[in-house]
Amino acid sequence: MTTYVVRRLLDLGFVLFGVSVLVFMMLRLIPGDAVAIMLGANIDITPERVEALRRQLGLHLPLHQQYAQWLGGVLQGDFGRSVWTGRPVADEIVGRLPVTLQLSFMALAFAIVVSFPLGILAARARGSGADTVVRVASIVGLTLPSFWVGVLMLYATSMYLPAWPTIGYVPFAEDPLGNLARMALPTVAVALPMVAALTRILRSSLLDVLSLDYIRTGKAKGLAPRSLFYKHALRNAMIPVITVIGVQVGYLLSGVVVIEQVFAIPGLGRLVIGAINERNYPLAQGVILVATVVFVFVNLLVDLAYAWIDPRVEYA
Amino acid sequence: MKRFALLLVACFGLAFAQSGTLELAVDSSPAGLDPHKVTAFSSFAVIGQVYDGLLEINADLQLEPALAESFTISDDGLVYTFTLREGVVFHNGRPFVADDVVYSLERILDPETGSPQASRFNQVANAEAIDERTVVFTLSEPFAPFLSNMPNLFVVPREVVEEHGDLQQVAVGTGPFALAEIVPDTFLRLEANADYYRPDQPGVATLRYNVVPEASTRAAGLRTGTYHLIPDVDPTTALTLRAAPNVTVLEVPGLAYTLLGMNVTREPFDDPRVRHAINLALDREELVDAVFLGNAVPAGPLSGALADWVVPNATFPCYAHDPAAARALLADAGYPDGFAFTILTFGTRRDVADTAQVVQAQLERAGLQVEVNVAEFGTFVQDWSNSNFDAFVSLNGGNIDPDGYMHRTFITGGSTNVFQFSDAEVDDLLTRGRTTADVAERQAIYADLQAALACEGPIAHLNYGTLFSAHRAEVQGFQQIATGNLRYLRTVTLR
Repeated sequence: MTTYVVRRLLDLGFVLFGVSVLVFMMLRLIPGDAVAIMLGANIDITPERVEALRRQLGLHLPLHQQYAQWLGGVLQGDFGRSVWTGRPVADEIVGRLPVTLQLSFMALAFAIVVSFPLGILAARARGSGADTVVRVASIVGLTLPSFWVGVLMLYATSMYLPAWPTIGYVPFAEDPLGNLARMALPTVAVALPMVAALTRILRSSLLDVLSLDYIRTGKAKGLAPRSLFYKHALRNAMIPVITVIGVQVGYLLSGVVVIEQVFAIPGLGRLVIGAINERNYPLAQGVILVATVVFVFVNLLVDLAYAWIDPRVEYA
Repeated sequence: MKRFALLLVACFGLAFAQSGTLELAVDSSPAGLDPHKVTAFSSFAVIGQVYDGLLEINADLQLEPALAESFTISDDGLVYTFTLREGVVFHNGRPFVADDVVYSLERILDPETGSPQASRFNQVANAEAIDERTVVFTLSEPFAPFLSNMPNLFVVPREVVEEHGDLQQVAVGTGPFALAEIVPDTFLRLEANADYYRPDQPGVATLRYNVVPEASTRAAGLRTGTYHLIPDVDPTTALTLRAAPNVTVLEVPGLAYTLLGMNVTREPFDDPRVRHAINLALDREELVDAVFLGNAVPAGPLSGALADWVVPNATFPCYAHDPAAARALLADAGYPDGFAFTILTFGTRRDVADTAQVVQAQLERAGLQVEVNVAEFGTFVQDWSNSNFDAFVSLNGGNIDPDGYMHRTFITGGSTNVFQFSDAEVDDLLTRGRTTADVAERQAIYADLQAALACEGPIAHLNYGTLFSAHRAEVQGFQQIATGNLRYLRTVTLR
């Protein structure tokens, strides 16, 4: 187990290196650099001034030198400075990460809390009206883009509940209630596709398990239906659900990017969109590295959860 | 918050000249605040509250005194003497003096600064502070638009620049509001300057620029009263906000224009007849309806807002939509079956991207084969500045002086003359336009220029869009300016 975790963490090093090279190169493949964007389309400026600005930002060096310089800094904990604000990239990220993490965890928690009862209900009452409603609703939930749902909810609350503060962000430490009130709609909007996906997979996985021999055996030897369902069936049905949760967390991160835009939440998503649009290379690279670390860790947790759910799983 | 502000007023009556927080919703964080370095509108929306120029532009697009109380111009048009206002202090408490003006100009002109404003002041041969309240600019040649550039000469204190290297993250000016707090991507807070030199201004104690990237979210926030004012509203949102209770929508004809720019070094756009035919093939009225929902006017080389200068569009027959004449002219130029070309454009502005599509349809009706390439903005800028296009659809900013519209765009080698247009007669007119002081004579010159450029220039001018802003009923004293400048925030009071 410990060796497994250590090995996975070592893998993380390779993943990060690969991602850093990819991101570094891809950002520079997009035409136009920070200087071009900074000067914009409508500007009087001589080539000498452009060159001077490029020099200031280190953009005149060959790519491999730029990369080596940046990587050297990162290894010493220095992610460089944001091109536009001049603030250290690490500071910019540290300010935003908690916001995005809060939104992601709230959405994840919401999705689990809502989808489990729904999935269990649909599986237990298979073929009933309730089952049909859940199945149709989950298809709809999967199909609706979360930014559209977000905008609709925003409009609805502004029309019918104008007193509810829905837009913007206040830190939890400053105003816990205000924070939760503002986070509620984005949480639901981001979580909706995940609720739908988890409900569907839980339902079908439960149905698979319920048709297995050992369930019939359990029934035959007189196990109470409740304990049979929750202790024996549900637990075994969890493996595919956990896998889907891991995959969905990836989608969740990308959904959060869009929703932050809609609800004016200052998280990592908005930071990275802005950074890419402005060709703010150090900032974009920093954010994507951090997002990679988060994603890899979530996947590691998912893999470890298999063993917790199913003791037969071994890590060699 | 609103209730709190009302409570304050109720408790203290009129004892406080300034009260309340004006909540604005803007689409992006300012990318830096250095008035001599930035180009983004989001930056100037804040800079205009913090810094002053020597003069400023009012709602009628006329110049008014700001830091300068008065000025005189010598008869040869070379020497400008400004008398400065007394009793002005910077936000750091230091009195403002003539040396600050000289320093600010020198900073703009210093190549190290890399200021995009530098070309506005290229004609200044010498700037000198005669005494604490008098500054004299001597020009190397007469330059008629010189005064119209004075609002861009934002005066900054030397000691703050020297302490911080630049002014991107700090802001110390003489304006009605002082920078108090920046929370990136969330909000930016300005507090009223108690020592501001105009008595009774500003009218509110705090300005908060809330950064809200989504237009529909800004609109929802205005409906609920979360925000008081949206300085820039797109036409579709303006339409829906008109129906909202307690919301006022303002509009003013804009100075910026959408355009189809043509690369005159590439066939067939090197042929003036082809450029003329394109103008005939375009239907500017249809663009007004299809792209702007009626909130725009057909464009010629100058905005109608420059009433003293503009030649009416009706004067130019090529602005009457006439596809048959366009085809005939194309045949005459050797393209009886039309030709194929690509329009370069970008997707971040809906009006621009939509214009490109409608233009494509219109030109196809005249027998041309048009492809539209919607590039990412950085790519667009790169191809645009390298003249790497057949034609492009974009948006060009305007100016209160016709020289600002035309000089750098049309003069041979001009910085935004990406069309690579070069015409001896136009060059001569442009040069005389900026060196002639007499207004009537200048008007004649710019009339000639409009005639020379309207039909066969490298630009098919398309539309001047209407600018919208919207505010809550409790906001009083706000006026919108065609330049997009937010000068009237300082006169706003909250009821």
